[in-house]
Amino acid sequence: MGDIILTMKDIDKSFPGVHALDHVDLEVRKGEVLALMGENGAGKSTLMKVLTGIYKKDSGTITYEGKEIEFKNTREAQDAGIVIVHQELNMLGHLTVAQNLFIGREFKKGIKIDDKKMNEEAKKLFDRLHVDINPKEKMSNLTVGKQQMCEIAKAVSFDAKVIIFDEPSAALTESEIEEMFKIIRDLREKDIAMVYISHRMDEIKVITDRVTVMRDGTYVGTLITKDSTKEDIINMMVGRVIYEEPKTESAVPEDAPVVLKVEHLNAGKMVQDVSFELHKGEILGFSGLMGAGRTETARALFGADPKESGDIYINGEKVTINNPQDAVRCGIGYLSEDRKRYGIVVQKSVAENTTMASMKDFMSGIFINKKKEKEVSEQYVEALATKTPDVDQLVVNLSGGNQQKVVIAKWLTRDCEILIFDEPTRGIDVGAKNEIYKLMNKLVAEGKSIIMISSEMTEILRMSDRVVVMCEGKKTGELDISEAKQETIMNLATREIE
Amino acid sequence: MTKNKKFLGLKGREAMVLGINIAMIILFSVLSPTFRSYPTVISVLDISYYITLMALGVTFPLITGGVDLSIGTGLVSYALIGGYLVVHKGMPVGVGLLACVLMGILIGILNGVLVAIMDLPPFLATLCTCMITRGLGPALCGGMGISWPSAMSDQGAFRSLFKLTTADGTIVPIGIVSVIILVIIMSFVLDHTRVGRYIIAIGSNKEATRLAGVNVKFYHMMAYVICGLFAGLAGVAYAAYVATIYPGSGAGFELDAIGGAIVGGVSTSGGVGTILGTFFGVFVICLMKVGLPFIGLQANWQQIFTGIVLIAAVLIDLVKKKK
Amino acid sequence: MKKKLVAVLLSTAMVFSLAACGGKEEKTTDEGATTEKTEATDEGGDSKDYHFEVIVKSFQSTYWQAAVQGIEKACGELGVTAESNGPATESDIADQVQMLDNVIEKKPDGIGLAACDTQSVEKSLQAALDAGIPVVCFDTGVDNAPEGSVYATVATDNAQAGAVAAENMFPVIEEKIKAATTDAKVRIGEVNQDATAQNIQQRGQGFIDKMIELCTGAGKKVAVVGNEFYVNAAEGKVDEAEAEIIIEVGVPAQTTPDLAATEAQKIMSKEDTIAIFGSNQVTAEGLIQANNTLNKLSADPEKGIVGVGFDAGTPQKEAIKNGQFLGSVTQSPLMMGYECIYTLTDICDGKDVEDIPMNGYWYNADNMEADDIAPNLYD
Repeated sequence: MGDIILTMKDIDKSFPGVHALDHVDLEVRKGEVLALMGENGAGKSTLMKVLTGIYKKDSGTITYEGKEIEFKNTREAQDAGIVIVHQELNMLGHLTVAQNLFIGREFKKGIKIDDKKMNEEAKKLFDRLHVDINPKEKMSNLTVGKQQMCEIAKAVSFDAKVIIFDEPSAALTESEIEEMFKIIRDLREKDIAMVYISHRMDEIKVITDRVTVMRDGTYVGTLITKDSTKEDIINMMVGRVIYEEPKTESAVPEDAPVVLKVEHLNAGKMVQDVSFELHKGEILGFSGLMGAGRTETARALFGADPKESGDIYINGEKVTINNPQDAVRCGIGYLSEDRKRYGIVVQKSVAENTTMASMKDFMSGIFINKKKEKEVSEQYVEALATKTPDVDQLVVNLSGGNQQKVVIAKWLTRDCEILIFDEPTRGIDVGAKNEIYKLMNKLVAEGKSIIMISSEMTEILRMSDRVVVMCEGKKTGELDISEAKQETIMNLATREIE
Repeated sequence: MTKNKKFLGLKGREAMVLGINIAMIILFSVLSPTFRSYPTVISVLDISYYITLMALGVTFPLITGGVDLSIGTGLVSYALIGGYLVVHKGMPVGVGLLACVLMGILIGILNGVLVAIMDLPPFLATLCTCMITRGLGPALCGGMGISWPSAMSDQGAFRSLFKLTTADGTIVPIGIVSVIILVIIMSFVLDHTRVGRYIIAIGSNKEATRLAGVNVKFYHMMAYVICGLFAGLAGVAYAAYVATIYPGSGAGFELDAIGGAIVGGVSTSGGVGTILGTFFGVFVICLMKVGLPFIGLQANWQQIFTGIVLIAAVLIDLVKKKK
Repeated sequence: MKKKLVAVLLSTAMVFSLAACGGKEEKTTDEGATTEKTEATDEGGDSKDYHFEVIVKSFQSTYWQAAVQGIEKACGELGVTAESNGPATESDIADQVQMLDNVIEKKPDGIGLAACDTQSVEKSLQAALDAGIPVVCFDTGVDNAPEGSVYATVATDNAQAGAVAAENMFPVIEEKIKAATTDAKVRIGEVNQDATAQNIQQRGQGFIDKMIELCTGAGKKVAVVGNEFYVNAAEGKVDEAEAEIIIEVGVPAQTTPDLAATEAQKIMSKEDTIAIFGSNQVTAEGLIQANNTLNKLSADPEKGIVGVGFDAGTPQKEAIKNGQFLGSVTQSPLMMGYECIYTLTDICDGKDVEDIPMNGYWYNADNMEADDIAPNLYD
């Protein structure tokens, strides 16, 4: 571990109504990988945005290579050698790898772009990183992992001295992560400083040297990775000990009636002959790896995507579901994994989102009864403890967890008996997570039935009464919670993969 | 950017556009003595009727994130066909007016089917219906210009729906009353009915609206049907206003209406907009049409000035949003 | 492009079959969009086997319908065939050029052309010349046409037609003109559709020049204000301060009825305005529309502003009948179409041809029904 290259001291930043960074400190050294951890909303991204000039800090100092600096934009930061590798890929699919790497700073021969030189330079760069990518390949033909490598290569090509990785592994497979780690170790050898933002505790342990933890916009502390345990870090992150005890046995009585029965559902490659039953008052967990076909199953069931074949029975009666309207009529509500795209209408108010699915209950003749709309949504705001100043607030201004509650309110208003929660806590911080869990438990206690799709093993084990496991579009197993263990589920989830 | 700020019961944008209107009236009145006269008021209102009606309609497709380019050539076509029935086929004026509105609804349904059901991009679909309507009028009416009965004849009584001349020669612009009533009704439709609610929802997030179990195809289509209905009504207003309707004209009329709506705060990317904003926005356009010649600006400069004002109006909004 | 061709072929075929079914051709009003086929009635003795293509400016106004009537009439008399075509509006310049290029491909015996834009058609005229197809321009001349491409031009002498309006307007307002001083100026208005089409330019200028001449003859000085083009083009004018008479020229930014009416209203609202001239159908109707609000027009100078129009159309004819307009000037589109076909036939027969200037005719409430005027006064 080398000398300090970057120091951020007493950084303060407020947005209207939010104190995003409260006198935060950060110190990065040459040739180290520093993990930056914290719950969602702890201020990690904001801090990095202040560093690279996207946000202007209110107060505090940034010292880089011994000089106090303040970048006006990312371009300036790049030129100085501070580069971010973003979580979402910023690549242009129609251009080649080399064209992407050098976009905005193309080599020129007269007024003509010198593609040959760009390809050569790209090749040199990849060789240096020991990556095997053809610079002439179209970006869209690469796997997500390879694209991520390109992002890293691009960062390196800026002559970076500090590279910030913002959840780089989110979309990568195990082997791709391994390959990325190789590059990171390599860069560490070259004395480059790296900040690694991630939620994955295992990765933190493997790749980082120190861990800096943030909570609610404040700096909590820094640990040496190899000297600390997972629990130490988590405790610093949440400031309290959370119990994520797995359920040991199903809370559903043996004779609970079947409210939903799906038989031989087929919809493309991702849903092949899927059958299952859902009992009244049950939380049925759907587990599996990314791309196992769980969301696709839910969407086909809900009528959001066309299905090829399959029968659906509600309370023993066969129903036809060809579109979401049919599904809603049958009392099924779907909470999408991608709230912003599919769940809420962000530019509309809490009240308007709440009544979206059950408009006809709020009509006086041809007019909307806004008074009733307001009353009902206020009831749900209270019942779900949604944090919003009032129900006229636009949902775009709410946090992820509260947006999720608005979506739940939408389906409760509709009086749906069957709710499909697709990744209910994705992008929601730990505190709000617990509230959502409590709410789900309350709903099943009231006799509703829930299908919960989740990629988080702890969530599956904590919430489900039964677990359906999928792999490659097929159902590979069904377990009662009493027999469901992390290992058994993982086994089933990878059964189809050679 | 928490809640919409209000001023005298108007949303920020509406108040701003109203302010632009007032500023223009003051500017034109100072620069041109002949501008500040009753006949000028009448003529601003005269040209505002058909543009306002078009704009009220096109606000709905705009809010869904689409557009309807067929309204300009459409309204001319409808007025032409209605007039043809009256002048050349000897039908009562009422039938001609009804035909005008019905044609509008028909083309609205066609647009709706193309966009909402067959999923054509609105720009493309309505560009095609724009061409169709442009040819349709002349094709059905033999390519001739049509003059609806003039205000002086008995049959021309319908013209006084918009402009009433009393026995002593005073002109009363009663059209504005109907237009304001329609503005109130359509505001209500947009804010207080399911159609309006869902049209806004479709504009801000169509997929989320669909997944909420809303029949998005139907409501999406309704936006175009409403637009068609108003294009038909605009045809009536146009027939009542102009002396002769020329076949093949009307291309570009829609831009006055769309421009007015955008000045009034309707977002072209959908989801945002109010009827009152559109109403005020159209008046900005109409005031410029009448006021700029009055202050002695010559033809080419009028167009340059109009373009600059529109850019400024939209920019103010963007700058405010960024803050 | 291909689709367009197919559409044209299809509609031509349709009209063909219609005409065939109908047997005897009546005044065709149902031509598909803008295509019309005129069949020769093969009765008249020495039928000639010529086929001409005619391209008009548009079918926008009934004006062009009258021209097509003239074309039909000439075809019937001569036993030749002609196909008339035109873009949707007079401002669809590119469409018209495309149509012209298409008909050159068809190699007709001759082309009749009323150009929307005199410059844009020059290239196509060269192509026609290269292909050996004679062209006769009608309604609008093409000044810079390639040498030898345009055999003759059949057009209203627009300067003369504009002058006719001034000559007929002047006697009525002469008293007021004579009474004018630099302190009590009088104003004569003119509204022109645009400042780029040659015929409208000439017409507007013809009016202004004649009016200046007449006023100067009455011992008065004249200033021209308004649209830059006409101000610069006018001859014999003086500065506004020295003048007793002001001619104000308005040009709407676009060719729409509302903008034409606004320009008219702007001029008519001024206290010192005594007369106004609308130099084509759209602007003449603009005067009428403005008058609906202002109620100032009258054929009697003591009662209001003397209105003079151009061309015809129902509203204008009504305005003349009920005494709002003093009168209007009409061209003879029918005769221009008619002469165009005759000239083309003469060319094919190998005769020498020359330009045929057509007159503008004054009409008012008294002579509207006269035999030599009425046929040109379309509705």
